[in-house]
Amino acid sequence: MNLIRAEVERLAARRFVQLMVVLLAFAFAVTAATTLAGSHQPSASELAQAQQEAMAERREMEVRHANCLAREQGAPPPVEDYGYLPGDCSELDPALRDRLPVTADYLNGVFTFTRQAEPLLYFLVAFLVLFGFLVGASYIGADLNSGGVVNLLLWRPRRLAVLGTKLGTLLGVTLAVSVLASVAYLVTFWIIAQVAGYPGPTDASFWTSLGAIWGRGLVLVLLATAVGFAVAAMGRHTSAALGAVAAYLVVWELGGRIVLEILQAARPDQLMLSTYVGAWLTGEMTFWDNSACIGDRHGQFGPGLAFGYCDGSYTLGWPAALAVLLLLTGGLTAAAFAVFRRRDLI
Amino acid sequence: MPSGVIEIEGLRKTFHSVRRGRRVAVDGFDLRVEAGQVHGFLGPNGSGKTTTLRALLGLVRADEGRMSVLGAAAPDQLPRVTGRVGAIVESPQFFGNFTGYRTLRLLALAGGVPVARVDEVLEEVGLGDRGHERVKGYSLGMKQRLAVASALLKRPELLILDEPANGLDPAGIREMRDLMRGLAANGVTVLLSSHILAEIQLICDHVTIISRGRRVAAGPVQEVLAGFDRAECLVRADDLVRAEELLLAAGLTVTGHGDHLVVGGVPDPVTVSRTLGEQGVWVRELTPLRPDLESVFLELTGTTPHPGVPRQPDGSTPRPDPTVIDLDDVRGVDA
Repeated sequence: MNLIRAEVERLAARRFVQLMVVLLAFAFAVTAATTLAGSHQPSASELAQAQQEAMAERREMEVRHANCLAREQGAPPPVEDYGYLPGDCSELDPALRDRLPVTADYLNGVFTFTRQAEPLLYFLVAFLVLFGFLVGASYIGADLNSGGVVNLLLWRPRRLAVLGTKLGTLLGVTLAVSVLASVAYLVTFWIIAQVAGYPGPTDASFWTSLGAIWGRGLVLVLLATAVGFAVAAMGRHTSAALGAVAAYLVVWELGGRIVLEILQAARPDQLMLSTYVGAWLTGEMTFWDNSACIGDRHGQFGPGLAFGYCDGSYTLGWPAALAVLLLLTGGLTAAAFAVFRRRDLI
Repeated sequence: MPSGVIEIEGLRKTFHSVRRGRRVAVDGFDLRVEAGQVHGFLGPNGSGKTTTLRALLGLVRADEGRMSVLGAAAPDQLPRVTGRVGAIVESPQFFGNFTGYRTLRLLALAGGVPVARVDEVLEEVGLGDRGHERVKGYSLGMKQRLAVASALLKRPELLILDEPANGLDPAGIREMRDLMRGLAANGVTVLLSSHILAEIQLICDHVTIISRGRRVAAGPVQEVLAGFDRAECLVRADDLVRAEELLLAAGLTVTGHGDHLVVGGVPDPVTVSRTLGEQGVWVRELTPLRPDLESVFLELTGTTPHPGVPRQPDGSTPRPDPTVIDLDDVRGVDA
């Protein structure tokens, strides 16, 4: 318990951590201020007009769908021209749309919480991932480099316990900062929407969806923190983690992707970590596999071809993404502990 | 035979590096420190001192050998006794942005030591007024004091200090000496590694000398020095030529050195003054030549500097003629 207290104090006293918290607050303040400055509370007439426009758009969609169905059943074409009607009427079915037009879509210069909470949350998660990774890497990297770990081991000569306490403390503090920051962030924008914007229709599904992104975002922050810590611990320096990430991004995500495309490898996205990060954060991601619809030299087509129509898309869900991310983080962390256990501290 | 506070037997450690290859740092080294001793641990740069201390404290994994601290096998059982051991190893580094006080406070918290003890040790090492300044503003000597303070926080029974006087000014060295003496007087066992041989001779009652990873001498300081006492005297007389003849005739060994003679095989200086005085040769100066720790150290470790001969990377210097031991190189004058 004493060690945890000391580590929390050590972490909180670090200049880099303080700087990152200030940057977080600054980014938060700038986003909130610009949102506040660029938004106004809609008047009753603006709101009424936007509601009418949204309703009219929904009605038009229903009419077009009804016309399409009527055409399928052999009815004469309508007097009014509704333009092109697709062969498959389900494409026009409003019930199958991801989302229907809502009032907020027709409010100009108005911050609408239900429309913008999601992208705002993604931005915050991205910042917190960066925060966690850098703080995690610098916390152990600077400690190993400055002799702090050696000093501590002279007091507590249990290497795994010391490293484990450091990682546990780091994850705990990062989680606390992330929860506090994200709650403060969302509450602030909710208040902005109330006083200088439009909250939008916040039903249970909205909050469930936002909560799921928030929860997955927090897990991603913790994973990034652990990866930063583990790589810096193995490399004995903060820059080891930064270098490893830069090298991975340039060599694999950029160079590897190009090479895989040249080689026409099947589903190259599946080999990229960014794919799993995206799939985890959004819950599901759909990718296109070029090779599925390309014929080989014998004229045989890939597995996507069916009934003359080629669908090369494939989907990655959050469970697979979580498994990959956990495997990577767990592997790196286990390696860091194994290396630290046997390492000569000179 | 009482159990040693520190016992090391047959310690062996080899470092492997892709760039520098294989390097034997410690090669079958033995060390024994008894309770209450102030034990000097001497060796040239790269001789294996710090590696030995790191291995003892569990920071470096030994390849072979047996070690124990306060009766606990090291490194496996170190956690059992670590609360009774204060240590600093080599030049300790601290986080520059933390104050000295915060640095010690965090260690005290981690080690379960009352935080009130921090102010006490800062006073003890002379940092009472500077404790709330950032460590990056400290001089090397102040960092050294802070390191010693961190070792003292636990009120240790055993203090292991690697070069504690490094970077200290003369006043600081004297303060450190007084501190060590005070600790020893209170029953603290001290293992002290240092390059300042005169300090070791002043502070320590026992000494172990390591060279190229091996123990080359060990025991009470006076016994180690006595092993190198050649019973020599420096003699200056009004007629040096005549004095040399008379001393040779008396069966003593004599070497001329321009304005003085070095006479060997002299158990008592009275022999010289009587031999010369009885023949009317008057002695101007008669100084017994006693080896000091520096001369013994240089001879044992093969690091005696020779004019025009560069030092080797391990600190040793090849002798101009290995069959001849130049007494001037290994002798000191006991003033």
